Amino acid sequence: MSQCVGNITAVKKEHFVPMSSENTDSILQLIAKGEESAFNLLIEKYGNLVWSIGRKFLYKESDVEDAVQEVFIAIWKAAEKFDHTKASEVTFISMIARRRFIDYLRKVSKHRNLQSIDGDNAQELFKESILNQSTDLQLIKDAIGTLEIEDQELLKLSIYQGYSHSEISKLLNIPLGTVKTRIRRNLIKLKGLFDIKQRATVIELNNA
Amino acid sequence: MHKEQIQLERLLDLLVLEASVNLSQQEREELNRLLDLFPEYTSDHFHKTTALAQVGFYLEDDFNNETLPEHIRKKTLYRHKKELGQSTVTDYLDHFMRTLFYRPQFAWALTVLMTIGLSFSMIEFKNYESNFRYLPLKKIVMERTADDLIQYPWHSRTNDLGPINGDIVWSDQQQKGFIKIAGLPMNDPNKNQYQIWIVDPLKHGQPVDGGIFDVNRTDKAIIIPINPKLPISKAVGFAITLEQPGGVVVSSEPLLLTAPKERPQETFPKV
Repeated sequence: MSQCVGNITAVKKEHFVPMSSENTDSILQLIAKGEESAFNLLIEKYGNLVWSIGRKFLYKESDVEDAVQEVFIAIWKAAEKFDHTKASEVTFISMIARRRFIDYLRKVSKHRNLQSIDGDNAQELFKESILNQSTDLQLIKDAIGTLEIEDQELLKLSIYQGYSHSEISKLLNIPLGTVKTRIRRNLIKLKGLFDIKQRATVIELNNA
Repeated sequence: MHKEQIQLERLLDLLVLEASVNLSQQEREELNRLLDLFPEYTSDHFHKTTALAQVGFYLEDDFNNETLPEHIRKKTLYRHKKELGQSTVTDYLDHFMRTLFYRPQFAWALTVLMTIGLSFSMIEFKNYESNFRYLPLKKIVMERTADDLIQYPWHSRTNDLGPINGDIVWSDQQQKGFIKIAGLPMNDPNKNQYQIWIVDPLKHGQPVDGGIFDVNRTDKAIIIPINPKLPISKAVGFAITLEQPGGVVVSSEPLLLTAPKERPQETFPKV
């Protein structure tokens, strides 16, 4: 395990050199240009993220395995639609992954709520490197931080853990209507905050 | 509340759901109707926000340190190659073996099947090996190596048979023997089969079944292994009868051949 982690760390460090330079293509852009090795990079860089999202949404491991493969093929096929001015690479990938996993939810009713206890700093490096590259992620993190703790938890259960509204209602012993209202309200708020911050960043960058 | 406000709230509810779960057909139709009323909204209104929040929560989750398993990475690369039409036979075999052995149920099923198959093969091979392969050589080896070898020529006990040649060799220690025989007429296995009997008065009151055989050629001598169905303590005589297909436990058919010609007098129970 430690051997494996060591290797991953090395790969991550190498691959997560910020791609903010205008002359540097993102992985999705490389894929769109037909660079075959870019698919390997895609898996290396986003494999853990996609796998992790899949594990949150889907109960059966075999479903996760199949869905994760489909997600990467779908990302590969959709790479030419990626527009870095509209979303960061990780956002684009996360959007495709979520749609695919939600499709799978139609087939299975249960989801998995796993908590890995296998702590190591490879994953931290991986997470930091994603964050460093994605301005929009930093914005959304800031936006989430402005929400009440209870509302953050509610959104986390719904968006991150993949619980349905009725499941959350039972889990937290809150009326279903309240769950729906609070999630809707907070998503609207999050979207609003994010949009404002994004616009501000664009203006700031343009003025720089 | 104003009707339009109610409709907008319902639209937002459905858009939230759309970004989190799969809508039912009814909800989908309702969403489409409401989107027509509020064209400034699109069905992916919350998609980006939820996707970003998903990653945001992921980055904050200190307990989530899951890594993509290596076999999934390889499977995905294989699928990608397949999509590109670049997968080779080696890739296919690699993928097939990985799929087969990764899923525990497949691996177990295969193991069980292989074990059963191997067992049958070994049994079959053993039977085949002990019964039919290299019989002349095995007979010679036994003749040369058995310390307690007995050997008798066959004697015809009926006038219906022509001249018979051959003999029988047997070793009590090895619990096996061979008959070599020429002159027996061919039998129809669907109607009858020859059966070997071993006389072992010390241990068995009745002759012991030594196996059945068919004669399917008359141009040269055949060699048949003897497979006693019960342990033999001291074989003193052998006989061959013609029985129903599959043989019998106790014969009531006339003796065709015996070896030696007469059962030694000393082997009869003393009265």
